[in-house]
Amino acid sequence: MTQSAPIPLTVIGGFLGAGKTTLLNRLLASGHTRCAVLVNDFGEVNIDAALIKSHDGATMSLTNGCVCCSIGSGFLDTLGRLLDETGRFDRIVIEASGVGDPWRIAEIALVEPALRLDGVVVLADASRIATLIDDRQVGETVRNQFARCDVALLSKRDLVTDAQLEAARAAIRLVRPDVRIEFVSPDSAPDLAMLGRRPAVRFRADPVDDGIDHEADFRRWTYRRNGSFDRNRLAAAVGALPPQLLRLKGACRIDGEVRPQILQMVSRSWTLLPPDGSNEQIADAIALVGVGTADLPADDELDAILDGALVAPLAA
Amino acid sequence: MSSDTVVYSARKIVTMNPSRPVATHVAVRDGRIVAVGSEVEIAQFAPGGMIDDRFRDKVLLPGFVEGHSHIMEGMMWSLPYVGAFDRRSPEGKVVSGVRDVDAIVARLRESESKMSDPKAPLFAWGFDPLHIGSYMLTRQDLDRVSTTRPVMVIHASFHISNVNTLVLERAELLRATDISGVVAGTDGLASGVLQGIAARFRVFRVLGNPLSSGITLDDVTRYAASACVQGVTTITDLHNDLTDPTIELYATATRSPDFGVRLVPALASVSHTPEQAIAKIAALRDGGNDKLHYGIVKLVVDGSIQGFTARLRWPGYHNGAANGLWYIAPEELPRLVDLYHRAGIQLHIHTNGDEATELALDAVEKAQVATPRPDHRHTLQHCQMADAAQFRRMKALGVCVNLFANHVFYWGDAHYALTMGPERAGHLDATGTALRIGVPFSIHSDAPVTPLSPLFTAWCAVNRLSSSGRKLGHETEALSVEQALAAITIGAAYTLKLDDLVGSIECGKYADFAVLEDDPLAIAPEALKDVPVWGTVVGGQVRKAPRA
Repeated sequence: MTQSAPIPLTVIGGFLGAGKTTLLNRLLASGHTRCAVLVNDFGEVNIDAALIKSHDGATMSLTNGCVCCSIGSGFLDTLGRLLDETGRFDRIVIEASGVGDPWRIAEIALVEPALRLDGVVVLADASRIATLIDDRQVGETVRNQFARCDVALLSKRDLVTDAQLEAARAAIRLVRPDVRIEFVSPDSAPDLAMLGRRPAVRFRADPVDDGIDHEADFRRWTYRRNGSFDRNRLAAAVGALPPQLLRLKGACRIDGEVRPQILQMVSRSWTLLPPDGSNEQIADAIALVGVGTADLPADDELDAILDGALVAPLAA
Repeated sequence: MSSDTVVYSARKIVTMNPSRPVATHVAVRDGRIVAVGSEVEIAQFAPGGMIDDRFRDKVLLPGFVEGHSHIMEGMMWSLPYVGAFDRRSPEGKVVSGVRDVDAIVARLRESESKMSDPKAPLFAWGFDPLHIGSYMLTRQDLDRVSTTRPVMVIHASFHISNVNTLVLERAELLRATDISGVVAGTDGLASGVLQGIAARFRVFRVLGNPLSSGITLDDVTRYAASACVQGVTTITDLHNDLTDPTIELYATATRSPDFGVRLVPALASVSHTPEQAIAKIAALRDGGNDKLHYGIVKLVVDGSIQGFTARLRWPGYHNGAANGLWYIAPEELPRLVDLYHRAGIQLHIHTNGDEATELALDAVEKAQVATPRPDHRHTLQHCQMADAAQFRRMKALGVCVNLFANHVFYWGDAHYALTMGPERAGHLDATGTALRIGVPFSIHSDAPVTPLSPLFTAWCAVNRLSSSGRKLGHETEALSVEQALAAITIGAAYTLKLDDLVGSIECGKYADFAVLEDDPLAIAPEALKDVPVWGTVVGGQVRKAPRA
């Protein structure tokens, strides 16, 4: 490894009880690669004592080259120190908190030259995820965790019926129609390189095919207008869109902004950003495409909501 | 500490002890109050009849108790302040607020010109765009301070910062506007507004983190000095990892006879498993002294209302913003509360939004049913949006509350217009409701988020005036001056389970006084915040506050 090669970063997310710790314990014990693993709760890490070379309360060094660090409150300092030890690790793995958004951590690798984002893996308990996703208190938190993940990894497959498994898959697909869904192997450590963004080989020889036509479960909605949005009213309008609308993306113009903006909405959270320079020319109008569940309200109903945010055209 | 009795006479002594509400003389021995009363009653305690009359034109109150503030207040004053409102430094100097961009830039330039190392970054703190007409600083504004020195302004919320172009270039963030915390300016490049973990990581990696080096003795000393300046004699540090160096530092600092405040740190639950935290508290309980009181644990359930990260019940945010964030999973909270409750630990639970409050009350109720524990005094911290039904549950469950009265002034306008709307903003930090229903309560500053100054906090609860001059629920939620003074003394002491030691002037308690130039009960309620603080007495030791 050269000094300048960025270290791959994997972020492991998933709600409480999804199986993150079990997965990380296996990863540490296997020693396939020299991993530095940052965990939330040291107390839950369960490593064979024979494997532990040293343990100072905040860092545990293993004989197989792996290191496990407690995140505590000094997460940024800990990560910084690991990056300074160039060449010591093949991969850094960070466990996101059970209520945290793994993407926020993943973004570190998008701005830190010493890191390369190699994947956001979100675990889900196959027996619970369908309920959690719709939960009144935590549904939004859980849905947001999937919003930007590369792989959804279902755990506890052996504990569920086929029907439950199907419900789990369907629930995740409602949030992320395009996401890759895999299973945690019940007896071996995960190969994070294969769950990464550019997998060398397929994770499984047999593709996961549930025999469902997913397009049929979803409805698309296209919104095109000349003119521009008022930023404040757009915020209100996006908030008023029905929950059946899962994603919305496209270009639009905002009153008072010189350049067109890219609007992205995933499971109720949305951003408005200028396009990066590499994008092709963006049209000088509003063009948004939405994907929703099959019971998405009619187009004119949705149109009316966004029309409310349009700036009235000036009289010539 | 003198073993001789000293009798002080004062213009007036307001004791906050209802069985002897006012007096003129107090006898002090071994750092404690021997007796309080009239000249006739107390003169007999004076050796040779000598009465110390240095306070003859002053008014004594029980030393103020700040039930929710942070050691960060002591750390921040090493950096220049760029908030919009006047704020008093630990040296007693009124640092004037900077209310527009030019004033902010001028303040930063002044600090910049005094720095000797041309490469050292300039950090500043206290900025809030909501207080200068929602104007967000830009990198171009900060480039006017310096183009050769990194400049970083940390917001009052501590979650957002502004940097100059040099910082963005060094951290390679100028074009990283696809990152959620890197806000784009009108030119498509980063505007200099940064938030979130990714941007923070990069910036601190190139600049160093001004606050990561750990708490120093200077920080603790500044914190104690600020307390003295504001009449505070018992102060919390309500969220601390309590690492070994911090524990050692607190022990050393508080054992010094000159240390002028009683310190009450709360152990941060987030950096420990409950088992670790319970063991740590058990070990620390004996490690305290008369100026260091361990025993409480802090849980943080949700975020902040003005940051739209508090968890709200239906109908949610007034402006339609998405609901906030859980910092502890709802299904995890009952387990944590139960473990601490069983271990006999008093919990201080941060809940800003009413959904978080509901969850915390559910958790305490479960723990109480499983393990009934009289007088647990678990305290909800902030608890800004609780309605009457939730206060009734607090009463029934034996839960106390520490309300964030300063919010009414600093963010009341934002709550009225954006976060809660008119009705809910009217019962923001509902001190009147707490009083009517009989929930033991206190009020607080959360310093350094808002300034440490219990008299100002009391003023907020009495006047319920926003910074633009709007009255918020004044008719129903305002306290009388006397009730507000009780909240910043005996009320706060009660929420810390220290009401047997501090919070009122009566026989047997520590001789802790706030020494005021005026009688807060005799002035117009609108002037409460302007009553000058002469200094403090802590454990019988008189300390005149510096005035720079």
